[in-house]
Amino acid sequence: MPVTFVYIVASPRPRVGKTLVGRLLSEFLLLKDRRVTSFDINLKEPSLLDFLPDVTETADIIDTFGKMALMDRVILNDGMAKVIDLGFHAFDEFFKMSQEIGFLKEAARRNVVPIVLFMADIDRVSIREHEMLRRQIPAAQFITVDNEFVVRGELPAAMAGGCIMRIPALPDFLKTYVDRLTFSFTDYLRQETDSSTELHQWIRRNYVHFRELELNLEKQKS
Amino acid sequence: MKLSFPLFLPCSRPKQRWGQPDAAERPRAVFEGTDMAKPAVIVVGADKGGVGKTTVSRTLLDYFNANTVPTRAFDTESPRGTLKRFHPDVTEIVDMTATADQMKIFDTLNTATPSVTVIDVRAGLMSPALASLRDIGFLDAAKAGQITFAVFHILGPSIASLDEIAETASFMTGAKYFLVKNFINNTSFFEWDQATYNSYFHRIKDATELTIPKLNEMAFEQVEVASVPFLKFVANKGIHDEAANYSFVLRGYVRHWLANVWSEYDRIKLTDIVSFGAGKSAIRSGEK
Repeated sequence: MPVTFVYIVASPRPRVGKTLVGRLLSEFLLLKDRRVTSFDINLKEPSLLDFLPDVTETADIIDTFGKMALMDRVILNDGMAKVIDLGFHAFDEFFKMSQEIGFLKEAARRNVVPIVLFMADIDRVSIREHEMLRRQIPAAQFITVDNEFVVRGELPAAMAGGCIMRIPALPDFLKTYVDRLTFSFTDYLRQETDSSTELHQWIRRNYVHFRELELNLEKQKS
Repeated sequence: MKLSFPLFLPCSRPKQRWGQPDAAERPRAVFEGTDMAKPAVIVVGADKGGVGKTTVSRTLLDYFNANTVPTRAFDTESPRGTLKRFHPDVTEIVDMTATADQMKIFDTLNTATPSVTVIDVRAGLMSPALASLRDIGFLDAAKAGQITFAVFHILGPSIASLDEIAETASFMTGAKYFLVKNFINNTSFFEWDQATYNSYFHRIKDATELTIPKLNEMAFEQVEVASVPFLKFVANKGIHDEAANYSFVLRGYVRHWLANVWSEYDRIKLTDIVSFGAGKSAIRSGEK
């Protein structure tokens, strides 16, 4: 039976690179599968919808209607990978709701695989929430993302175990370059003839990480 | 509304016998259990409507169903009962003021199965109903251990409702008395005022408090629209067990809520109370 992956990019803190990872992942899945559905649950931060309007929908979980509109779709095993860019303001409510409605259990029943990509940060709130989620979510489906632009050094010890994905920091000028609304990672890979550029290497490395993650999960599922 | 009960309740069970009346007392039927579990009667009542009485009755029927305890129910909201809409196979609508319907309930208590009877008493009729049970000797039978009798008193958020506790408690000797705080309507039951709270809730020695937590409003309404028991809604099934298409989110909320309600019933050992001690080890069917 086919498996549908649901990637939840989350952090209880703002400005840690959630949307950046959401973009990378959405474009990777679009390149690999030619289709993806992304959900943008952000109020105020620069959002996924602005970067990928063709594949992104807004969602909110403020009320029951919003929760139904999001989760009743996310739980479907339709073969289409989904990416949720979970804004920091919705972090608590999303995971509280997920636990209450039995999202993980129902997902397992339907061959839907939720994967949480937790954007690491060094503050106490992040460490506490990281610990809480690690207790709830199977180890293979919980990835700590070490965005070196944010963490700037060693990960806190409490976050050091389990699956870790490292995203090297880009120099400021490249960061500004990729932050443009018109920038596409995949288009850059296709159009840039010099594959040795730092940005080319950076994008490829992240795409390879995502591919390895998916292969590991598929291997475990089979 | 005054209920009337007959002086004599005819019986059809071989073990049932008439007690010898005292001079000052009316003749009463004596109820005896069979070799199987003794009959259990659970009355669910409230002094006013809209406090969640039938909702609680529905959770009880689902709980007993999941614990494979044969149960029947009587819905006294004659002529159109809400309980019957959700549990049509096990529920009969009765008019508690009619003798024939009173006989239907109490004369058949000793049938082998089902041995648990849930009576959803119309709002405002609980005290009169209990008084009538006393008059026919039912409460004495409960006191004598011949019947298991429990009252789930669904409380409302008013002093008048809390005043009803003392009145109801006077009938409860030998019976199990449960004060049910139903938070489905965002009430607080005076918990913010300890003196008032203690004066009502801690005054009755043998009363046990039960808490029914709040269920998401949309989930509740979706179950209403579906007209299926909570268990079937959680299982995504229609009334005839056909596959349904209810919202995963709302089913999840109902599952979570029902599990919390059932935890309360487990806490008071409800299956033991209705004399199905084996129910503790019975495997629950359906989801919890």
